[in-house]
Amino acid sequence: MSSGALAGVKVIDLTHHIAGPYATKLLADFGADVLKIERPGGDPARRLPPFHRDEPHQEKSLPFLYLNTNKRSLTLNLKSEQGRAILLELLADADALVENFAPSVMPSLGLDYDTLRDHNPRLVVASVSNFGQTGPWRDYRATEIVEYALGGLMYIFGAYDREPLKHALSQAQFKAGTNLASATLMALYHQRLTGQGQRVDVSIQESIASALRDVTNNYTYTGAVRRRQPNHTGDLTRLRAVSDGYVLPNPGLGASVDWQILVDFLDAPELDDPRFDNASARLENAEALGEILDRIFAAKQKQDIFYAAHEKRFIYGVIDSPEETVDNPQIRAREYYVPVEHPELGEINFPGAPFLMSGSPWRVESTAPGLGQHNGDVLGRLGYDATQLAYLTTAEVI
Amino acid sequence: MAGPLQGIRIIEMGQLIAIPSAMKWLADMGAQVIRLESVQRLESYRTDSLYHNEVEGEFWNRGANFYEQNRNKLGLTLDLSRDEGRAVLRDLIAVADVFAENFTPRVIKNFGLEYAELRKMRPDIIMVSSTGYGFEGPWSNFGATGPATEGAAGLAYMTGYRDGGPMMSEIPYTDYTAGEHTVAAVMLALMHRLNTGQGQFIDVSQTQTCSATIPEALLDWTVNGRVSERIGNEDPAMAPHGCYPCAGDDRWIAIAIDSDEAWLALCRVMARPDWAADARYGDVLSRIRRRAELDMMLAFETRGHDNHELMARLQAEGVAAGAVVDSENLLFNEHLKARGFYEVVAHHPATGMPPLPYASRPWKLSETPAVPPRPAPIMGQHNWELLAGLLGRTDGEIAALEESNVIGYAPLTPRGVRRPSLDEQVRQGRMQKYDTDYAERVRRWFGVGDEQSRGE
Repeated sequence: MSSGALAGVKVIDLTHHIAGPYATKLLADFGADVLKIERPGGDPARRLPPFHRDEPHQEKSLPFLYLNTNKRSLTLNLKSEQGRAILLELLADADALVENFAPSVMPSLGLDYDTLRDHNPRLVVASVSNFGQTGPWRDYRATEIVEYALGGLMYIFGAYDREPLKHALSQAQFKAGTNLASATLMALYHQRLTGQGQRVDVSIQESIASALRDVTNNYTYTGAVRRRQPNHTGDLTRLRAVSDGYVLPNPGLGASVDWQILVDFLDAPELDDPRFDNASARLENAEALGEILDRIFAAKQKQDIFYAAHEKRFIYGVIDSPEETVDNPQIRAREYYVPVEHPELGEINFPGAPFLMSGSPWRVESTAPGLGQHNGDVLGRLGYDATQLAYLTTAEVI
Repeated sequence: MAGPLQGIRIIEMGQLIAIPSAMKWLADMGAQVIRLESVQRLESYRTDSLYHNEVEGEFWNRGANFYEQNRNKLGLTLDLSRDEGRAVLRDLIAVADVFAENFTPRVIKNFGLEYAELRKMRPDIIMVSSTGYGFEGPWSNFGATGPATEGAAGLAYMTGYRDGGPMMSEIPYTDYTAGEHTVAAVMLALMHRLNTGQGQFIDVSQTQTCSATIPEALLDWTVNGRVSERIGNEDPAMAPHGCYPCAGDDRWIAIAIDSDEAWLALCRVMARPDWAADARYGDVLSRIRRRAELDMMLAFETRGHDNHELMARLQAEGVAAGAVVDSENLLFNEHLKARGFYEVVAHHPATGMPPLPYASRPWKLSETPAVPPRPAPIMGQHNWELLAGLLGRTDGEIAALEESNVIGYAPLTPRGVRRPSLDEQVRQGRMQKYDTDYAERVRRWFGVGDEQSRGE
């Protein structure tokens, strides 16, 4: 049924909430056949706000609709013997099983890795969890903010003299989901070459801790512990308020530059001063420089200075609201937002391809499935007839 | 078998993080990554954040960020503004599987390195271009940094304290978002090539990869016409939920109360049975409505506690809580140690640097683990190996390339950035503190040079 980079790849998806579903969405959006298996009450993400036109309903959660494009849905109670039997039938010819339960859950269901490997040696069993499948913190509980704290990103994030801050929304989950997709693909690549399956263990904490630039190196290289930065650091690229919003100035200055070009561009003769004209001096005179820059930028306008800067090949950035980013000329030209017709809700404008692939493009063929929408279809193919389906339903297996 | 990507050859024309971090992870998993740089143009990650903050000698081989992003790669210097340099690159592409770059499209077009050109050198090549705003479109030639695209994507606008302006992290965060998606994209292209024998062009827009991770905010606008306000560390569905002060200088704990059970457990650990008995906080909606009051009460109680100790006690009762760890805590963390998350990398003897730990990867593959780590190349380290061994250039040809600075072993105009003294950095607030016994602590914790320390 599928085309795209992952044509012919069959994924059994036991994930819920955000991290796991984002990984399987990436696989599904590029052509994998993803069967989402939900507990009979449904993926808890069906209750995540915001909802379509603010109507709380299990088929109207906008994050859920986004995270589950191109998937089919089968409900299955994995706590029942029959539910597990059906899962094993489905896994017999699957390429990958992806899950994001707490690490103790799969073994407690009798679905530990050794059992799954014996059942299907080709199977890639891919897991994402808060702290990984091993280690003393394996069973620690976490939410987004706890991952920011224990991943090391929070301590350096926020105002110097206030409490540390996290990003808005669910960045740790999405980051780990992306990494889960990558690692699963590596295991699938190996499987395609050798026929061998394996175990993939992705940690959300490590997803944060592996993307901190030189923060830990500051310690191993010099013994210094980096913290949230004061507003004036001698860094020319800090976010600055302008009269109608915020910009990220970046004159593209490395160690070598003609300082005068910047002085002229900002029309700021007070910066024409040996205290500021090289990178080392700017660090020494950071506070004085920061105060001058704040004053200069407060008089500028966002769009004006952004486009003027790019004419000079400076690499300025803008801070855009969701409304502004949807309307951004570049985003529009690339047709990033994709209108998708939902059978019940009508047209929804989804954020589209994270990257463009010329030979095996991203696409949405179907919106997120209704809860259990494919029960009859999937089980029918396994040979269950209408009477048996009715039995499984009344027995709360599906 | 070490690494599932043995046999894949990648030519990387990368800079800073977006492409280098992605190719590092592919190199970790067994791909041969040949990283190009030039002696004419010194990458800023070779000039700043230096070992011991020293700019003397060959400082360009002692940059923290360079080592952080370029592990397990081979290094070749090449001046691509010259015909001889481009001829070498063409020969490399002819034997490569992937060409990865993150320059602006203008640069790539000037060098004649568009996908259509590459296909003539290698018909099934996979090319990946990572740019701030995308390879095509009216902003495509605008240079960009992580912070700029965090702004353009909509993430920075949503982030910040309730009563303040937009905030962003102190690292170029979306460089990694793009890098992580790039790893997935290259793997998808390799899967497609296995199926079809075809290469392709991948156009990664850093802005788009970031927007892809904030659907809640973007769909709230496109569907409901609403832009939510900034809410700091709050969570709309949990209270208490935030970052609370602990004993010590700039010590904090994050706590997320996601159920009534967790609330009662928090009350137990904080020894406040009166909170547990108080009907005003008895259910999640009541707690959310009294969020500000609860935050103040809880902050008053956490103040006297050690953040790691309190975390352990809360976790033992099933409460999602985490100490806000700094870089020192992260490095000396029992859990990450048990998982072998930091890998010790031995540096080239010419650098004078001891073996040091570096963050590895967020995944473990049971049958095809990562390759044993090798450090990022010192400048020009693999020039001979690649030119003679891989491309069959003669000694005379290589000497001619050296003579004309098409290849080389040191920047032509070296200039390092000397950071202020650590005392000054602490005074300015850039650093929280510094330790003087750090080298020994790192050595001991990671078991490096045990023989020597025993002899001391």
